Amino acid sequence: MTASRALTIWSVLAVLALTGLVASLSLGSVAISWRALAHAMFQPDGGLTDEIVRSLRLPRAGAGFACGALLSLSGALLQVLLRNPLADPYVLGVSGGAASFALAAMLLMLPWWGVDAGAFAGALLAVVFVLGMARREFWRADPVEASPRLLLTGVVLAAGWGALITLLLTLAPERGLRGMLFWLAGDLNGAAGAWPALLVLVLVLVPSMLAAPRLNVLLRGETVAQALGVPVARLRLRIYLLASLATAAAVVTGGTIGFVGLVVPHMLRIAFGNDQRMLLPAAALGGGTLVMVADLAARTVVAPAQLPVGVITAITGVPVFLWMLLRRRH
Amino acid sequence: MSPRRPSLLSAAESAVLPTVLPAGARLAARDLTLAAGARTLISGLNLEFAPGEIWCIAGPNGAGKTTLISTLAGLQLPAHGRVELDGRALAEWPGNQLAQRRALMPQALRDVFSASVFETVLLGRHPYLAGWGWEQAADRAAALAALAALGLGAFAARDILSLSGGERQRVALAAAVCQDAALMLLDEPLAHLDLHHQIDCLKLLALRASTGGTIIFSCHDLNLARRYASHALLLDGTGLVDAGPAREVLSAGNASRAFGYPLLLIESAGHEALVPAH
Repeated sequence: MTASRALTIWSVLAVLALTGLVASLSLGSVAISWRALAHAMFQPDGGLTDEIVRSLRLPRAGAGFACGALLSLSGALLQVLLRNPLADPYVLGVSGGAASFALAAMLLMLPWWGVDAGAFAGALLAVVFVLGMARREFWRADPVEASPRLLLTGVVLAAGWGALITLLLTLAPERGLRGMLFWLAGDLNGAAGAWPALLVLVLVLVPSMLAAPRLNVLLRGETVAQALGVPVARLRLRIYLLASLATAAAVVTGGTIGFVGLVVPHMLRIAFGNDQRMLLPAAALGGGTLVMVADLAARTVVAPAQLPVGVITAITGVPVFLWMLLRRRH
Repeated sequence: MSPRRPSLLSAAESAVLPTVLPAGARLAARDLTLAAGARTLISGLNLEFAPGEIWCIAGPNGAGKTTLISTLAGLQLPAHGRVELDGRALAEWPGNQLAQRRALMPQALRDVFSASVFETVLLGRHPYLAGWGWEQAADRAAALAALAALGLGAFAARDILSLSGGERQRVALAAAVCQDAALMLLDEPLAHLDLHHQIDCLKLLALRASTGGTIIFSCHDLNLARRYASHALLLDGTGLVDAGPAREVLSAGNASRAFGYPLLLIESAGHEALVPAH
């Protein structure tokens, strides 16, 4: 992998993302022509189509892109941290904590910002739990492989959150259940705005890219990384916090959209290799495009009804991923 | 030796000589005590490892060879005492500078993700990367040279997950060579290797020592150690350490005591070999 090859890959993915964005802005219950779209974007005068593009479709497309990019980036980071290709953004329980608190907020009939705040608080609490229980993994200096213990700690905590979510769903009144299930499946319908998630995306992506060469070394194991001058414990903590922040921001914005964080990094790895310097930005672009386009499908295929975007990502992602995996020689 | 196999030493010479090390690395153990749980592995060791020397660390299973190598590399803290490189305690070295000065090849690695052999060896250049961490042409050349030195030129594009144990071992050694450090610590570099690859590996280490490198490796084959190492450090697992010129330390009497099995030194046509007495 060279810088120029990585730039080529990023450029191709960026073109795909832009195409997806234009499609998201122009397609829907009201089809908007290229000319009207350009008008709405660059010389808006407050007309109906301008409003549809600028206050309905653009924020939603932006939120979708940000969610997908954050989840995919978080998945890529956690797969390195846990040295496990099956890790996804939810494996260490961040989403479980967020979902439990968000559902509790819905149960209490809090307004949307209360649900978002609850989700973020729950995600933070889940992070604090993992940090507390796996502190030896994050702070000890000797080159011991920490991934299996950390993974087990996270998985067990996630199972605990899962039980709590089931309990909340059982307690919820009939009329609240539909909203809760949509939240759990991942839904951009109520997304409040794209800016917070896009800001977090930048805040996570830049430090991740700076750490990428060290992550390449960490993939070979703790001993090799330390021998090459990488401060392993500190790097692990940093990666965990970045991945958790990314997951929390995505879940607060769009609920627990499944599958993106596991599959997008893998597809890119199969296609272009596992160099983290290329992979992390590519995962952000690819994951963002996937969720943005999936959300376009979610609001158009059965219009005027809407599907949760998480259903679309999983239904389309599973067969594509299986095909890529089984086609490989090893 | 198979005639089809490319001559290793010429490739190794051309690959390794141009990067001759700026100054030899001096490693010293000062009052070094190592422990595993309640057991003392080494107590109060004072020893210097000088440029040009090839040290073999030998001893029975569990005697502390890996712990010692790991401590000498600065990855593990000793129970007591300290290790100095170029007169400065290892703990005071910034990670990157230390990595440019000493390389470590750990015991067998477990890989999970695919990567090409070339990419894997190129990771040895990590201490030299700047900016966003992309390798320069010189780094690529160093990785290619290291691959050539280990006869891995044809493997560059292979996936590391598809390699045999011995091939992985050579890839790890190539990565350590590519790191271009004056001090090389190797934990069981000969494990899983065929005899001719073992000898190639030892010749490569000898070549680096002859150009001012300091080499420390652990090894189970006492005869290869006696032949290629200049010095030896024999651990018996009870805290006692015997260190000095390889042939004196790895004598039949010392080795029998350390390994708990009687060994005989036999001689034939100027060659010596330690063999089990029964």
